[in-house]
Amino acid sequence: MEIGSLAHLGSGLAIGLGAIGPGVGVGILAGKALEGMARQPESTGTLRTTMFIGIAFAEAIALYSFVISILLFSK
Amino acid sequence: MSVEQAAGHAAGAKGSVMSHLLEEFSLSNEHAYEFFGIPLPHGPGMHFFGIDFSINKAVVVVWIATVLAFALIYYTGRGEGLVPRGRLRNTIEAMVQFVKQDIVDPNIGHDGKKWLPFVAGIFFFVLLNNLLGLIPGSNSPTGNLNLTATLAAIVLVAFVGVGIKKQGVIGYFVNLAPRGLPKWLYVILYPIEFVSLLAKPLSLALRLFANLLAGHIVIGALLGLIVLFGSWIIAPFPFAFAIIMYAFEIFVAFIQAYIFAILTALYVGSAIHPDH
Repeated sequence: MEIGSLAHLGSGLAIGLGAIGPGVGVGILAGKALEGMARQPESTGTLRTTMFIGIAFAEAIALYSFVISILLFSK
Repeated sequence: MSVEQAAGHAAGAKGSVMSHLLEEFSLSNEHAYEFFGIPLPHGPGMHFFGIDFSINKAVVVVWIATVLAFALIYYTGRGEGLVPRGRLRNTIEAMVQFVKQDIVDPNIGHDGKKWLPFVAGIFFFVLLNNLLGLIPGSNSPTGNLNLTATLAAIVLVAFVGVGIKKQGVIGYFVNLAPRGLPKWLYVILYPIEFVSLLAKPLSLALRLFANLLAGHIVIGALLGLIVLFGSWIIAPFPFAFAIIMYAFEIFVAFIQAYIFAILTALYVGSAIHPDH
């Protein structure tokens, strides 16, 4: 196999594997926030804000792997 | 060019759809220096002091966004009377109020009023750049690492600056790690905290950049499927899905502006009030 095709393979693997963890994380985050909202509807506003910040942090990890994947792809 | 020729061209050895998309987004092809058909100044004539000052599509969009953000806020602020009248004024006022009540006040606290212009400026600038980039034929400047890294650097200077102003140079760096731990732990803790200080602007820049780039690539790849298949029967499905993704991208444009502004407020707030 030549280097170019290995880089393309790695690019796909990078984003695919890198998205697993953040995906699970965002799911747990949103689910827990929803639980909290259902239990205490008056705290919906605060929960939503905190949830978005948490999602932004979890999502950033997937986006790092996206950047790595783009870097590998354009090799 | 017929659809089959375009498909053959796109599926050719060097020019895969993805490579074309990446060239288009990273402004490295011949379309980068024209804005809706208007040629922009570029090339060796635009090199001053050894730096390339070529004007590309994204630069024009940044200019438009800057002027638009200023004009919108100026128009709203200079209206007659204290209560804003008209749809546009009310919309902008609601957004500024949202920035004040939901982003600045809970995170910065009693110094919030002083920081509202900064955070609201970042919010509107990022939002307008995100939205203008969604116009077909335009380019998203926030989908470019140069702009987002500059914004993140401004935020870094702002929150380190205000932290040093409040606590002094030594006090700020001493306060990076919590007090009251065993002494040997600080040897490990200070490097970690320092790296995490530098990781804040890095993640801020990469988050905005990668979100916008990913969204544009998804839309581009879906539309590229039409070219790849080159069939009128399949064409409507990627097109319909691309429209759904486009609507999602408008949502993402707002969310990312919100995230950028709230993280700015969070970092500034924690630099002003190190005790909590």
